[in-house]
Amino acid sequence: MSIEQPASQSWLQIRAHFGGLARTRMATTRAVVLVALLIWAALTPSFLSAPSLTALLTTASVIGCLSAGMTFITISGNVMSFALGATAASSAMVFLLLLNAAGLIAALIGALLFGAALTGFQGLIVGWIRANPIIVSIAANVLIYGAFTWLTGNESVNADANASHSLLKTAIGGVPIEFLIFITAIVLGQIVLSYTVFGRNLLLVGSGLPAAEAVGLPITPIVFGAYCCAGFLSALSGILLAIRYNQANMSFAVHYDYDAIAAVLVGGTPIQGGDGSMIRTLVGVGAISIIQVVLLLYGFEEQWRYFATGLIVLLVIILYSGRRV
Amino acid sequence: MLVARQLAKSFGQIEALRGVSLNLVAGEIRGVCGENGAGKSTLMKLLMGIINPDSGVIEIDGRPQTIENPQKAQELGLALVAQELSLAPDLSVLDNIWLGNRSIPFLHRHAKFRRRASEALRLLGVDYDLDRLVRRLTLGQRQMVEIARLLVRDARILILDEPTATLSDVEIERMMSALRGLRAKGRSILYVTHRLGEVFEICDSVTVLRNGRDVATHSVADINRQRLIELMLGRSFEEMYPAPAASPSATQSLIISNLNIAGAVSDFSLAAPRGQITCIAGQVGAGAATIIRSLAGMVPEATGAVTLDGVALPLGSISNRVKRNISFVSEDRGREGIFRRNVLENLVAAKMPKYTRAGLLSWAGLRHFAKELCRRVTLDNTRLDANAFDLSGGNQQKILFARALGNKEPGVILINEPTHGVDVGARAEIYRLLREFCEMDYILLMASSDLEEVVGIADTVVTMYRGKMVSTYQRGRINMSAILADITHPTENNRIAS
Amino acid sequence: MTPIFLRPTVRPFLILVGVVLLLAAIDAGNGRILTVATAYSALQSFSTFALVALGLGLTMLIGEFDLSIAGVFGLAGCVALTTGAENAEIGLLCAVGVGAAFGLLQGLVITSLDLGSVPVTLGGLLTASGLSYVITHNQAISSDNLDLATTINDQIAGVFSIRSLVVLAIFAACAIVFAATRLGRDLVAVGSDRKAAIIAGVEVKKLVLGAFTFSGVMAALSGSMLSYGLASASPSGLSDVLVPSAAAAILGGVSLSGGTGTPFGVAAGALTLTMLRSGLNAVAAPPFAHDLATGLILLAVAVSDAPYLMRRMTFLGSRFRRTLE
Repeated sequence: MSIEQPASQSWLQIRAHFGGLARTRMATTRAVVLVALLIWAALTPSFLSAPSLTALLTTASVIGCLSAGMTFITISGNVMSFALGATAASSAMVFLLLLNAAGLIAALIGALLFGAALTGFQGLIVGWIRANPIIVSIAANVLIYGAFTWLTGNESVNADANASHSLLKTAIGGVPIEFLIFITAIVLGQIVLSYTVFGRNLLLVGSGLPAAEAVGLPITPIVFGAYCCAGFLSALSGILLAIRYNQANMSFAVHYDYDAIAAVLVGGTPIQGGDGSMIRTLVGVGAISIIQVVLLLYGFEEQWRYFATGLIVLLVIILYSGRRV
Repeated sequence: MLVARQLAKSFGQIEALRGVSLNLVAGEIRGVCGENGAGKSTLMKLLMGIINPDSGVIEIDGRPQTIENPQKAQELGLALVAQELSLAPDLSVLDNIWLGNRSIPFLHRHAKFRRRASEALRLLGVDYDLDRLVRRLTLGQRQMVEIARLLVRDARILILDEPTATLSDVEIERMMSALRGLRAKGRSILYVTHRLGEVFEICDSVTVLRNGRDVATHSVADINRQRLIELMLGRSFEEMYPAPAASPSATQSLIISNLNIAGAVSDFSLAAPRGQITCIAGQVGAGAATIIRSLAGMVPEATGAVTLDGVALPLGSISNRVKRNISFVSEDRGREGIFRRNVLENLVAAKMPKYTRAGLLSWAGLRHFAKELCRRVTLDNTRLDANAFDLSGGNQQKILFARALGNKEPGVILINEPTHGVDVGARAEIYRLLREFCEMDYILLMASSDLEEVVGIADTVVTMYRGKMVSTYQRGRINMSAILADITHPTENNRIAS
Repeated sequence: MTPIFLRPTVRPFLILVGVVLLLAAIDAGNGRILTVATAYSALQSFSTFALVALGLGLTMLIGEFDLSIAGVFGLAGCVALTTGAENAEIGLLCAVGVGAAFGLLQGLVITSLDLGSVPVTLGGLLTASGLSYVITHNQAISSDNLDLATTINDQIAGVFSIRSLVVLAIFAACAIVFAATRLGRDLVAVGSDRKAAIIAGVEVKKLVLGAFTFSGVMAALSGSMLSYGLASASPSGLSDVLVPSAAAAILGGVSLSGGTGTPFGVAAGALTLTMLRSGLNAVAAPPFAHDLATGLILLAVAVSDAPYLMRRMTFLGSRFRRTLE
């Protein structure tokens, strides 16, 4: 039996109501909150007008891909990574360099592999010798910035005028392509988590590393795989940025790590890992984005929007966060 | 001095205490006995304010008190040596002895505290370097530091929960005389133990807990060992442990030769045949559990030769062990056994690759498999989606045993403390399960510090003391007192060359 | 048994000495690096984040992690300049008060609701950051009080300034309290084995509350002193403090799992980083060199602290030997 430091009884009851272990209770609460948000959004003047919706979808999609990547790392029990934003920015640069040199296909493959490898290497250190994931990611972040600022002389990489990526800037049926890519990433990620041995093993590793070892699961490949997925999705995020702005430099995606982990936590994935899904991250990204756009449309200035978002994230985290491990 | 009335405490669905009452006077050493899961540790934690009771009253010196936290307990004159050691590994011996003591001032680096700490250690007959980090001490040494902390507290009611588990005979004797000295000064002591011998050696009276209730309290003079065991088990000895079916055919086996683990085990050899339960008996820290863990691949520094059915098994590799169809049931199932996920996922944990079609899992197939496993280990299959941590200890243990099923060939099951934290009712079911595994021709090799269990269930018993094997006993010649003597103080007389 | 030079109490000083020797070697007698000017600039940049590292280190010592330090740091600067326009002392008081309030509130949430520190302080970070934007109306602010700026940063005895003296005094006080009082021992106990500390009767909740309040106060003090010194404040923060603070704490021997670390160690770690930066500045090394150096040092420490490092090295060693036979 474990030692319980008594939290106040009534609070435990409230928490049991909202954030308890019962999956159905948590899912219903989340659904209710989401529906409430959507209703609020729909009732907001000019929310459904095309420009604001498009802007919302585009920004949310870029951060959303990174958040999906972050989800893999959080689920594995390694808390978060501070290096995904840097990975996105550097992958964006790699993408444009390859695009200018070798065309779209090579650029896509190269950038995605680059992001996966860069983060996968961190995953090897974390999974094989069990180094502390937070410190490794902080170190990686600083190293990536240093290395890429050095390599590019602190200048942006620009897309050549005749680059073949312009076709990617269209919208399909009015929906920006970034959003479609994001949704595809979520769906594929969720399939991996729910229907592959790797995905289920990842959840097991996050929910009990010593137990996973004792039962014979191969820890290092699983953690490595999770980090590769995170890197792949971060690179995807960077590619979307590069396409949108026709250039890339290391000032992109600077705060994305914080936005991503906030989205993951608001969506309901616990920080200690072992549980979570892409759907939850989608909800988290959606909720934060909707809040921000609605506040914008109600005329709140940027600073109030920023503050309100921070406060709401804090409240949701309090409501949903589980006990410490 | 201390009166408890009808204390009750539940953890979720698990009723740990259902109404325990206790009456302790000054100058009394009261033994508290009970099986795993009877509620002994919960009772002690309630008295020390580590957890709070759901109902019931505690009176100290005739006045009712609510003990909200350990600080309040300390103020009321209570002190505890817990079963799980409560030392901070990164602090020195001196700091740990005085840790949490309310009589210490803010500026605590005073010579008089060093003196008193040395005195306490001297009383226990040990002489540790006060500035040594506890991290560097052995388990037995840490236990002595815990007891020293108890002594400097100058408490009036002392609670010791399994204090001698890791101590040598000499250390136990020293501790006992220190306790007798305290009794002479009018202190009261609650002495929770598994070791019936100690109850008769030092206690004035004994309270027996069973299934969360206190079933009896007797003066030690009025009771004997047999009666004590019966009170603890609630049923006669024979009913708990099913007999083996017939004389098993010991054809293939698991053979261990010259197993060595630096600092824990020296030169251990054993042959565990198929269809039998082989038990390594020893106190906590004697090395029995470490042997099991090393066979499970969890101890990289183990050396020695192990063959299974004639084929060599390399030590130190968990993946090798799994490939050879060897399952491991850990003594720490909360950390190394059960995942914080639902029962279904816990059951099928390592078997998922067999249920994929074109790379994707078939949940229908997995669920069907899990239900079959539930049937085989008598687990309720309507609770597959419940969180495994909400299950009782017995049901959790069944999940771990179920993981050994599902392969074509009967394998090996390595078990540490098979019924740790399992209530009496479930224990009988687990023993039945172990016998069924034998009938399916599994090799069962287990380590247990619970002597009743060892004597009841084993076909072969190997006794251990301080990392060395003492003797071997076959079924029919398994003798509880001889085994107890082996694991607590072996002499030349009872060491049998095997 | 870890060899003495790797032990967490000794290692930070060895690293510091190592860095100084390295700089001396690079300098090779040219007298460019190890000068009074370098020492002064090193102490100045030391003063920017060393106290923050101390506060973060305290939360790490007890087994938690305060992510909000960067937000509180920036917020304090903004509060100090906005409320201290007439009277600098009032501004300082308000800023430190805000820092203490943030720390206290986060600590209360963490202890009474039994939540993990990473999600709660993440929420705190976002809220504090948002609050900075609200107070400053989304723009950088500057103060007219240039006299204060010069006094705070004026050289004393060539090497010090008021700012660095305050910082050094606080470090000295903390070191004394840590070594000589019960408080130091109890803090180590909480981080070393929290359950043991609870059973022993240590008042864990109060210590956790105190640690987060201290961390908030340190971040606020540093942030306001920096803003006074530069006579400006910005809602996006004048300086990223998370990376240097975490690096300083880790280099200083504070373990992320808790139970090890001392104030002197953190000071040594912070000094190491600042000596490195000042040394590189003195030879006009480009900024990315500093990033690369910091990142490599952090990575090296993370790897050498990794629990499975020895195990994997011996495994590789035996494999290698077997292939040779």
